Amino acid sequence: MSLITRNLPRIFVQSAQIAAARNIHCTSNNASAALAERPDSRVTATLIPGDGVGPELVYSVQEVFKAAGVPVDWESYFFSEVNPTLSAPLDDVAKSINKNRVALKGILATPDYSHTGELQTLNMKLRNALDLYANVVHVKSLPGIKCRHSNIDCVIIREQTEGEYSALEHESVKGVVECLKIVTAKKSQRIAKFAFDYAVKNNRKKVTAVHKANIMKLGDGLFLRSCEEMAKLYPKIEFEKMIVDNCTMQMVSKPQQFDVMVTPNLYGNIVDNLASGLVGGAGVVSGSSYSSECVVFEPGARHTFSEAVGKNVANPTAMLLCASKLLRHVNLPTYSEMIRNAVEKVLKDGKIRTKDIGGQNSTQEFTYAVIGFIV
Amino acid sequence: MNLKNLLSGVLKIFGKDPEKFAQQNIKIVAAKPLGTRLYSGDVKKCTLIPGDGIGPEISAAVQQIFAAANVPIEWETVDVTPVRGPDGKFGIPQAAIDSVNRNKIGLKGPLMTPVGKGHRSLNLALRKEFNLYANVRPCRSLEGYKTLYDDVDVVTIRENTEGEYSGIEHEIVDGVVQSIKLITEDASMRVAEFAFQYAIENNRKKVTAVHKANIMRMSDGLFLRCCREMAKKYPDVKFEEKYLDTVCLNMVQDPSLYDVLVMPNLYGDILSDMCAGLVGGLGLTPSGNIGLNGALFESVHGTAPDIAGQDKANPTALLLSAVMMLKYMQLAPYANVIEKACFETIKEAKYLTGDLGGKAKCSEFTNEICDKISKSS
Amino acid sequence: MALRVIYKSPLKWTYNLARAQSTMSAFEIQHKTPLIKKQSVIPVAMYGGRNAVTMLPGGGIGPELMEYVREVFKYAGAPVDFEVINIDPHSEESNEFDYAITSIRRNGVAIKGNIETKSESAGVLSRNVALRNELDLYVNVLHCKSFPGIPARQKDIDIIVIRQNTEGEYAMLEHESVHGVVESMKVVTESNSDRVARYAFEFAKKNGRKKVTTIHKANIMKLSDGLFLETSRKIAKEYPEIEHNDMIIDNCCMQLVSKPHQFDVMIMTNLYGSIVSNVLCGLIGGAGILSGRNYGDHYAIFEPGTRNTGTAIAGKNVANPLAMLHASVDMLDHLGHKPHANLILDAIHKTIAEDHLLTPDLGGSAKSSDTMNHLSYTQGLI
Repeated sequence: MSLITRNLPRIFVQSAQIAAARNIHCTSNNASAALAERPDSRVTATLIPGDGVGPELVYSVQEVFKAAGVPVDWESYFFSEVNPTLSAPLDDVAKSINKNRVALKGILATPDYSHTGELQTLNMKLRNALDLYANVVHVKSLPGIKCRHSNIDCVIIREQTEGEYSALEHESVKGVVECLKIVTAKKSQRIAKFAFDYAVKNNRKKVTAVHKANIMKLGDGLFLRSCEEMAKLYPKIEFEKMIVDNCTMQMVSKPQQFDVMVTPNLYGNIVDNLASGLVGGAGVVSGSSYSSECVVFEPGARHTFSEAVGKNVANPTAMLLCASKLLRHVNLPTYSEMIRNAVEKVLKDGKIRTKDIGGQNSTQEFTYAVIGFIV
Repeated sequence: MNLKNLLSGVLKIFGKDPEKFAQQNIKIVAAKPLGTRLYSGDVKKCTLIPGDGIGPEISAAVQQIFAAANVPIEWETVDVTPVRGPDGKFGIPQAAIDSVNRNKIGLKGPLMTPVGKGHRSLNLALRKEFNLYANVRPCRSLEGYKTLYDDVDVVTIRENTEGEYSGIEHEIVDGVVQSIKLITEDASMRVAEFAFQYAIENNRKKVTAVHKANIMRMSDGLFLRCCREMAKKYPDVKFEEKYLDTVCLNMVQDPSLYDVLVMPNLYGDILSDMCAGLVGGLGLTPSGNIGLNGALFESVHGTAPDIAGQDKANPTALLLSAVMMLKYMQLAPYANVIEKACFETIKEAKYLTGDLGGKAKCSEFTNEICDKISKSS
Repeated sequence: MALRVIYKSPLKWTYNLARAQSTMSAFEIQHKTPLIKKQSVIPVAMYGGRNAVTMLPGGGIGPELMEYVREVFKYAGAPVDFEVINIDPHSEESNEFDYAITSIRRNGVAIKGNIETKSESAGVLSRNVALRNELDLYVNVLHCKSFPGIPARQKDIDIIVIRQNTEGEYAMLEHESVHGVVESMKVVTESNSDRVARYAFEFAKKNGRKKVTTIHKANIMKLSDGLFLETSRKIAKEYPEIEHNDMIIDNCCMQLVSKPHQFDVMIMTNLYGSIVSNVLCGLIGGAGILSGRNYGDHYAIFEPGTRNTGTAIAGKNVANPLAMLHASVDMLDHLGHKPHANLILDAIHKTIAEDHLLTPDLGGSAKSSDTMNHLSYTQGLI
């Protein structure tokens, strides 16, 4: 049956996907649970613990996976910019992620300067190598975490391969630095389509484009125009535009009004962190970065929390939620639900809390509490 | 209050040639308080641009309050409706520009953004005329108006002339746009110096430089370096550096972590509005623009044409901007009286305008403040 | 969007399109037609290795079958997310239908049942046809292959039917000149004939096929079918390694039922394609088995091969899910998810060839859901 001539370019413009071998993800969510336990249904994923408290959080995830018997094998790489001598080469890491299609990643610390004078950070290099263009952060109020705002449920989709993060900077004359912000129609359309497709897939109602086109008329104007054009293809999804400064103001006063937001690079970074702050901080918000081929799951607000290294106080919630999302992506929804529910139960119970959400418990205690709820 | 004592006190400080001072401003701003050069007589002239929509009402309210407090200021009201200039383009009337240049200080209500091409935006024109390099916005939680955050007391200081808003953009090829973010040492130094100066004058303890130098290593790196250098000259003020994303994250969790924030243009734009959001919106936050050739204080909220002329507008933002202006002009005693009256009125919550959840008219609110002022003096 | 405007008067548009195309070269269609250029910039809906696919269940047994497809996909862990759009067959409004077209434009790929058009009024197009015209899906491919385990008159048939899908007799240009006299126009254009013929020969070349047969009626319709035949002969010259012959449609039907093994790849205009594919389906076991693929320059739609709604057996749990499953396998194949496609295909073979679990239309007694459960079970065992 497999007789499709896929290389006929005139005929299959849209089928430019690589048919590389991939893992077969098999599971079941009904009574015949035995199916999921078949040995060949194991999934391999790349693991990058990252800097700061990353390794501790990843360890917590591994403990939970072990307890739940999740059929995932890790391919672990030490990858770091602050410790270049020990870091695995970028090529190896990129190859591994390309092969496995999924990765779980802690946060990489980005120093203000690099030893080699390079302008690109390791994070940026990895993103560019894999073309991880879309960052998705789902900010949702969690039960049991006390915050000023409640009922927040918004998704921030951020372009993360161009814009201000172009790493194109130069000193024209002494004391005058130019930094280029690049916006292209292609990438703007791609991220806009991603946002709308995400909205369709997840039954969202509204997409808000965040911009500053009143000042940056060409650059952000192009981004905005791309979003507007794409919106026409999605008549069932409401589309609105908001200037970034107004957006941050609305975010802190009425965050419930937002649904899906699509933003260029820097604004996305700002809105991500702002929104994460509203629901309990960097320790509880999960995120993911997509290319067309692979996904990297990482905490939504990128903070290494390096002052807490080794103190066993970091909150593993974000990382566990990332892991849960990873499982759903590789078609292991049963385990995904199991872990998510366990985390939510622990948070809702409120007996075990890490420091950042007003408790005194350690990372380890939190992890054991989660394991306790996994049956 | 003894007006004479106050004035003579201020006069003693004065002693600089204004023109010369302006030229040297970058270098010696630390040596003298900023407003000194403006104080040349008993009554100071000040340009007032009432603005559009609710602008005239709230400007009138401010004038009424100032009169009640006997502030030694003479208003010079100018109209800035664009007129056709000799070159055929629409622009600000020359009279307005002259007034601004003469007085070196101005108060501005909200302006309608002129739609269509052909004339420069008024804000831009004024910014250029005054060379306004720093934008200051103090955000403070007001007692009596409950928001989710009640411990906000931060000042955002934003570089206003370059950065992302340099306006240098072009389309290289079809579908690829390049915008330039420009950071210069001069401008960074100038705004950093202003920030520390402001911190000292207003008894602030800490200055935080907000940056993204981990990504934009050269441009934000330069800004950061300037701030560090300036920090060395002000050992009394605590200095710290924070990533923009960290500030956003922490600000909404615990705003009391920050005091004075200094940052490049775009970050400032975003953060200042965000902080305004924390305390209840732009209707309550004053704003000042400090420049080489003068200073312009304004309310940054919209013109609200839907309630214009109905006596419903809230003059707080413009009033607080005017208070900032008084402080800048070394008229702090007056400023404090007015500020106190304003805060008390809001705290008592007897006469609140619609946007704060009350039912009072603008005039009632204004009268209440005037009453309080006359009682206290 | 200009397209939408054009769609409001479909008759005129089809006419214009056909007329315009006759004067356009293939290059111009590729590069100058705004329709094609505009759509080529829409990025593919593939994120993190998962594809978004539009699902149009259609009428009759369509919804049941789609439910099975989704069930199987869940078991197989196929990385596909469906965007389901139900089109109300009774509605005269075309909102939902327009939305479906927009959705396919975004996703690039769709799987569909047969969409019914209940309206009898002459101005309303068949939605199936409209869909193909709107998206310019000019070629339909049906791979007729005998399945081991399915009782059929002929064994070991392996024929590819390639059918022009957007013009010919289905141009839907009909009118009543005077009372009692109806004219129906058949449109054949060189450019479209060219595209189909080229597709067929390329297909033959890529898949190691030996022979291409053009089916026509050029002895009667000398101009229209003549043009089609001429064009395919012209293209054939560019592929000397592939044998090319032609056959008249009535003879072809006779040959098909008596000596079907002489055919390899067949190309034909729209109506003949409909006839030939149904004959072939009959030969190898009925309407419920084969899947058809519709390709355009940018989009692909997968559907059961014979395009029957099966309204009579809807909801009775006797419909044969094979055709739709095969369509879904084709789709996975097209998207590049080969392992998943093979997994499902193997399971299908096991079910029908080794376990002989057949629905009534194939002479068995199994219910649709039996087959389905079995399929899933089999898959688990692979």
